[in-house]
Amino acid sequence: MDRFEGKKVVIIGGTSGIGLTTAKMLVDGGARVLVTGRSQAGLESTQKDLGKGAIAVSSDARSLTDVDALAARVKAEFDTFDFLFVNAGYSLFAPIENATESTYDEVFNLNAKGPFFAVQKLAPLINQGGSVVFTTAIANVKGMPLLASYGGAKAAMRSFARTFAVELAPRGIRVNAVSPGPIDTPLIGKSLPDKDMAAHVVGQFSETSPLKRIGTSEEVAKAVLFLAFDATYTTGAEFPVDGGLSQI
Amino acid sequence: MDQYKGKKVVIIGGTSGIGLATAKMLVDGGAHVLVTGRSQAGLESAQKELGDGALVVSSDAGSLTDIDALATRAKAEFGTFDLLFVNAGVGLFAPFEHTTEAMYDEVFSVNAKGSFFSVQKLAPLINRGGAVVLTTAISNVKGMPMLAAAGATKAALRSFARMFAVELAPRGIRVNAVSPGPTDTPSWGKSFPDKDMAAQITGQMSEANPMKRLGTSQEVAKAVLFLAFDATYTTGAELPVDGGQSQL
Repeated sequence: MDRFEGKKVVIIGGTSGIGLTTAKMLVDGGARVLVTGRSQAGLESTQKDLGKGAIAVSSDARSLTDVDALAARVKAEFDTFDFLFVNAGYSLFAPIENATESTYDEVFNLNAKGPFFAVQKLAPLINQGGSVVFTTAIANVKGMPLLASYGGAKAAMRSFARTFAVELAPRGIRVNAVSPGPIDTPLIGKSLPDKDMAAHVVGQFSETSPLKRIGTSEEVAKAVLFLAFDATYTTGAEFPVDGGLSQI
Repeated sequence: MDQYKGKKVVIIGGTSGIGLATAKMLVDGGAHVLVTGRSQAGLESAQKELGDGALVVSSDAGSLTDIDALATRAKAEFGTFDLLFVNAGVGLFAPFEHTTEAMYDEVFSVNAKGSFFSVQKLAPLINRGGAVVLTTAISNVKGMPMLAAAGATKAALRSFARMFAVELAPRGIRVNAVSPGPTDTPSWGKSFPDKDMAAQITGQMSEANPMKRLGTSQEVAKAVLFLAFDATYTTGAELPVDGGQSQL
């Protein structure tokens, strides 16, 4: 497979789940990929998993200092590149009454502010004809319990996809979003450390989903790569990979 | 290329533009394709272009009698099939003050009513794991001059995508829509028989588009085939192929 031969890609949040799966498909297709993550264990297992086609870099997606350092590193490694996948994100599940200023800030820094400045710093290195994909979430368009601050931050990100698309269009760069519904990634376990509760929530999600199952990282990664490389006349759009949950 | 080997596909409105481009990609990928059209000249040139991998059938997408006959024919030829692409549509460019009842009825009968009953009659023949794709248009979500009636037909079609998706989910059939913006197809020329006016409007549309050009039939066809065969956890959704025009 050399579908992605010669492509250079940066994935912010690429050491597990959707980001890691996307990185794997790219490396298998001949691309060079730089992925970021926070935990040392995650970075090491990712580097092992992806092999020599990839560079796993420690970087906190919430930190503007780290974002600056990342841009310098990308410039040194790739000079310019073709595709930026802004995928880092997680939610803290909390009812509105229990949200504190610090949980709110954490969720917004990771899902809105970090991505905003990541694109600001990295877009100058993206080639003409290249693209950006954000990972939003269906909570951005659906009312869902326990996800108030996360849904708000993802709605901000959805808006960035439109605004960046219009600002980057003159440079020939497309910007789109992929919006996963419930997906079988390690994050579900991490967000819900209690195993019984995690199983219960997965069961509920499967039952509510029109397709009666949760999605896979591969299904989201395929959509990401379609938006990045094939959807050459689509920009500012959001593509749901949610079993129909946001539409039905 | 045998990406679509063994797949059986029905395309309503497949003798020119987006439908024909999609049929070509499918035939090239090894699929069996049945396309419909109305004009004898269009049917003949499509048959020549698609060759032996395709059946070209005369059928009026606005006629319920023809739709019944088409279902019988599809059953006779294929038994069951994998993708129904409902692409037939008529354009109507007219200020709403000058839209007569006959004009209104014609555009609704092909674009909305014909599509509704095509899916009703043909869905029973679609295999589990199969899909339906409907061609909507960005006028379904944008106010655009001269498109009051046509835009509303596409809004109805957008709604059908959601409703059919929920009703067909238990049978394992996904339903999605592709929403083209200005696309360089023969029907574009047909809507504006005056060449100078066509050139002027093409220029205006390109200028008004964030990507400063029209899309191609191939770009829309790629999105159709992605929705049909790769987007296995997406249903009820609409993917714009519009250079960002509906979003920006």
